Amino acid sequence: MTTEQKTDTVKITVDGLEMEARPGDLLIRVAQDNGVYIPRFCWHPRMRPVGMCRMCLVQVEGPRGPMIVPACTTPVADGMVVDTQNDTVAKAQEGVLEYLLINHPLDCPVCDRGGECPLQDQTMAYGPGESRFVEEKRHYEKPIQISELVLLDRERCILCARCTRFSEEISGDPLIEFIGRGYNTQVNTFPNEPFRSYFSGNTVQICPVGALLGAPYRFRARPWDLREVASTCPHCSAGDSISVQVSQNEVLRLLGVDNPHTNQSWLSDKCRFGYEFVNSAERLAAPLVRGSDGELREATWVEALDIVADRLGGILREHGGGAVAGLGGARGTNEDAYAFSKFMRTVVGSNHVDARMDDAPASQFLAAVVDRARIDDIDSAATIVVWGPDLKEEHPTLYLRVRAAATGFDPNQVVSNSDGLKIRRPGARLIVMHPRRTGLDDVARHVLRYRPGAGGELLTSLQAGDHPEIDEALAAGPVVALVGRASMTEDPRLAENVAAWLRDKGAKILPLARRANTFGALDMGLAPDLLPGRVPVGEGFESWGEIPTTVGRDTRGILEGLRDGDIKALIMVGADPVADVPDSHLATEALANAEFVVAIDMFHTESTAYADVILPALGFAEKEGTVTNLEGRVQKVNDIVAGEGQSRADWSILDDIARRLGKELGFATAAEIAKEISEVAPAYRGITWDLLEWDEPMGAIVPYGDATQPLQYVPVTTSLPTVAAEMVLHSARTLYDDGVLMRHTPWLHRLAPGAAAYLHPDDAFRLGAREGHRVRVVTKHAEAELEVRLDETLHRGVVYVPFNQPDGPRLGSDPIVRVTAIG
Amino acid sequence: MSDWSEATLERARQIIARYPEKRSAVMPLLYLAMAEEGWLTDHAIEQVAELLDLTPAQVQSVASFYTMYKREPVGRYLISVCTSISCMLCGSDDVLHAIEDEADLPAGETDDDGLLTVEHVECLGACGGAPVVQVNYELIEGVTPEKARELVRWLRNATPAVVNTDEMQELFGGRRSFDWAIPTEDGAVGPYPAFQPYGTVGQDRRS
Repeated sequence: MTTEQKTDTVKITVDGLEMEARPGDLLIRVAQDNGVYIPRFCWHPRMRPVGMCRMCLVQVEGPRGPMIVPACTTPVADGMVVDTQNDTVAKAQEGVLEYLLINHPLDCPVCDRGGECPLQDQTMAYGPGESRFVEEKRHYEKPIQISELVLLDRERCILCARCTRFSEEISGDPLIEFIGRGYNTQVNTFPNEPFRSYFSGNTVQICPVGALLGAPYRFRARPWDLREVASTCPHCSAGDSISVQVSQNEVLRLLGVDNPHTNQSWLSDKCRFGYEFVNSAERLAAPLVRGSDGELREATWVEALDIVADRLGGILREHGGGAVAGLGGARGTNEDAYAFSKFMRTVVGSNHVDARMDDAPASQFLAAVVDRARIDDIDSAATIVVWGPDLKEEHPTLYLRVRAAATGFDPNQVVSNSDGLKIRRPGARLIVMHPRRTGLDDVARHVLRYRPGAGGELLTSLQAGDHPEIDEALAAGPVVALVGRASMTEDPRLAENVAAWLRDKGAKILPLARRANTFGALDMGLAPDLLPGRVPVGEGFESWGEIPTTVGRDTRGILEGLRDGDIKALIMVGADPVADVPDSHLATEALANAEFVVAIDMFHTESTAYADVILPALGFAEKEGTVTNLEGRVQKVNDIVAGEGQSRADWSILDDIARRLGKELGFATAAEIAKEISEVAPAYRGITWDLLEWDEPMGAIVPYGDATQPLQYVPVTTSLPTVAAEMVLHSARTLYDDGVLMRHTPWLHRLAPGAAAYLHPDDAFRLGAREGHRVRVVTKHAEAELEVRLDETLHRGVVYVPFNQPDGPRLGSDPIVRVTAIG
Repeated sequence: MSDWSEATLERARQIIARYPEKRSAVMPLLYLAMAEEGWLTDHAIEQVAELLDLTPAQVQSVASFYTMYKREPVGRYLISVCTSISCMLCGSDDVLHAIEDEADLPAGETDDDGLLTVEHVECLGACGGAPVVQVNYELIEGVTPEKARELVRWLRNATPAVVNTDEMQELFGGRRSFDWAIPTEDGAVGPYPAFQPYGTVGQDRRS
């Protein structure tokens, strides 16, 4: 035991400046926070120090006189006197740089990093100017492809171990490592195992030279040609901060921005490389209308909007607002969602509107969980429960955050990994409930796997106290629970049940839903039971005047209504129900039976095939606005490229339709919508663009009400097969899939795992099928022939088929399937 | 994917059980892998990685750092000549040249019939008996160029199933630094160290 620290702060002197710091903080960090930049290559503020490159050598007054020490591995001590600039330090820095450049090829003119390269910059600032080394440099084949997305130029590498440390400590998939020793050391992968990590792109961003290169960006631009704007990632609801970089009106690169509350500078490869769709040649560039021959043809905006107003107006006059429904809005901005919500309520007069595509938990759960955790709470939780989707597949940066908490990761800890195992801060107790192995299982204290559909049973046994180890963990201290829908075949109401149970245990809840702005869309009232600012439908909301007061239908209800003819017309805003709704057959029947369908979208989708009018919409990087993440953090998204063709913002399209129907939405710019939101939506009071741009660049939290209301939930029942021939289907999303944005991002689309039937080896044996054989999977509404892959982490009796894969089947949400071997 | 023998896997499990952290067993398991297949094949690295919940890249990183792990096939007898300072001052260059000449093999290479590999290595920690030579990591001290030639001829003609320090010291060695251990019948049977009690001593699985 060390003696108790008496003081919370220590005082040190750096270059004559007095600085205060917490004991144990690293000298390099303290200096940086106080305005003294010490050059470095290997140290990264979000990773543990390793003292590899020696660039951060400084002089510290010690008991035996001045010493040269690396600032990145030196914790501050009270009274420390540091010099970062004297002649001795300068000589040491020159020596280090001369040494680092012995084998560096200096091919800056053909290097992607040239112009923004730490090695280049610091050589200019601190280097000797000339080298005494005239010998032949070390040569390697350059570059080698170490994954579909990353190339490695080993000649440029200065062996700083940033990439290898990231892979081991942060993302937990150490697929690149040092090989060899001494002069022959290089970074490389194992021969048969490429650097196929969901997070590989981060190593490209943190590489201090041009050794790791992102394949999609390679040779595309020079840094000084790029324009950039801050924005928020459009792929998941964690709200990761990014910088969008553009040259010649084309998005060429996304970089992670260090938002301490969300992504802490990291991005998944889906976010980092998932911008290609913006530049896709498949983008819709002009309005399309379906002619009398049933074929789509290009039309002018005036013609297309006239048709929409004419047809919608007719249906409204004949059947009233209840005959029109709206789907979508979770991919856009809050401003677009607000406009859509206002359009549906005030122009159409319908509450049949839903941003969730029947794949998420209830709107009340997502939008109204009041004892909601912040993402930051994960860091200080004693226990973390994840009962929902595999975070690595659906919320990759949250996966990183939870993983760091569970491993007790501390970026100030000065030890090598192997030495540190024993003295490392103990991590949070992580409990994972999921039907199969998840990315977090390796670092979890308790893993409970269950059959999809039997989640209710597991919950009952947990409530009955059958798992004392879980009860003990939940009693250990602050609990954060990340709760969502683990499987498309799982009752979506299970999430509320789980949340209610955990809430009784004192947990704070982070509800999970995947589409980037699901939470913002719900907050704007894109749910059958919610109005802007999470006001329940039917309760006082004066701002919009006369609006319908009965709760509308959710996505499933809307689709059933369309199928049965109760609902005549559908407005889709960035929605693809055929691909997104688990029960695809229902969406298909509904769209086929609809009298009139208008789609506002960036692309043709399987659903727009049923549209009578398709209106081209602006997308990511083309429009300004705000989005809200799963913890209620509102952040800006910004435009930096002109939109494709004649495409327009959703809100302005809806406003034009409203005018033709004799109403007005009442705003002329997105900024005006933002202002209106901040005035009429209670939770969004005071949230303005100015606030987000100037005072709260990392986002502002929209407050949730007090926690006095009990969480409403309907207990779920189990309906599992009793017949031996039947199995249970598990259907869950993967990071890369056949979603509309991924489909138009070829770099990532080809990385989708593809459709397959994952079976426990015992089940495969029982069926007489081996790995690679084919089986027939028959569900209530669909059947498919799929290749068998073995997965011993599955429960016996479960077949896992990844959801929405390229050329994959749409098996629906019914959990009961029959599986038979073919041939 | 495992096609190690059950006995080897059992041995691996015993070794892993000795450590509080699984990954700490990586070095003994690599020796075990060399004993199983003669050198560290990619497959062996994958096998060790699987047993220790590491990635093959991590295991390769360790295996490539230490020169005693062979990532390429070596002959049945691996002759290692120390050329570090003490041995060098006592004439190890001549010993190495004598072995290269007698084996007709430059250092670092293996002969065509896979019998001999010659290498020069850094300090073997036996400076008191310099110059020293190892055969399959079994040590011989006080070796002269002539004795070294005899050693090569003996390996080639007698092809002993097991080589051990005491026997070779008697036949080819000179002045010994001190008694290294209790004399034992065990020796090494392949180009891998005899690492009691972890591994391979006295078990020739390839015969």
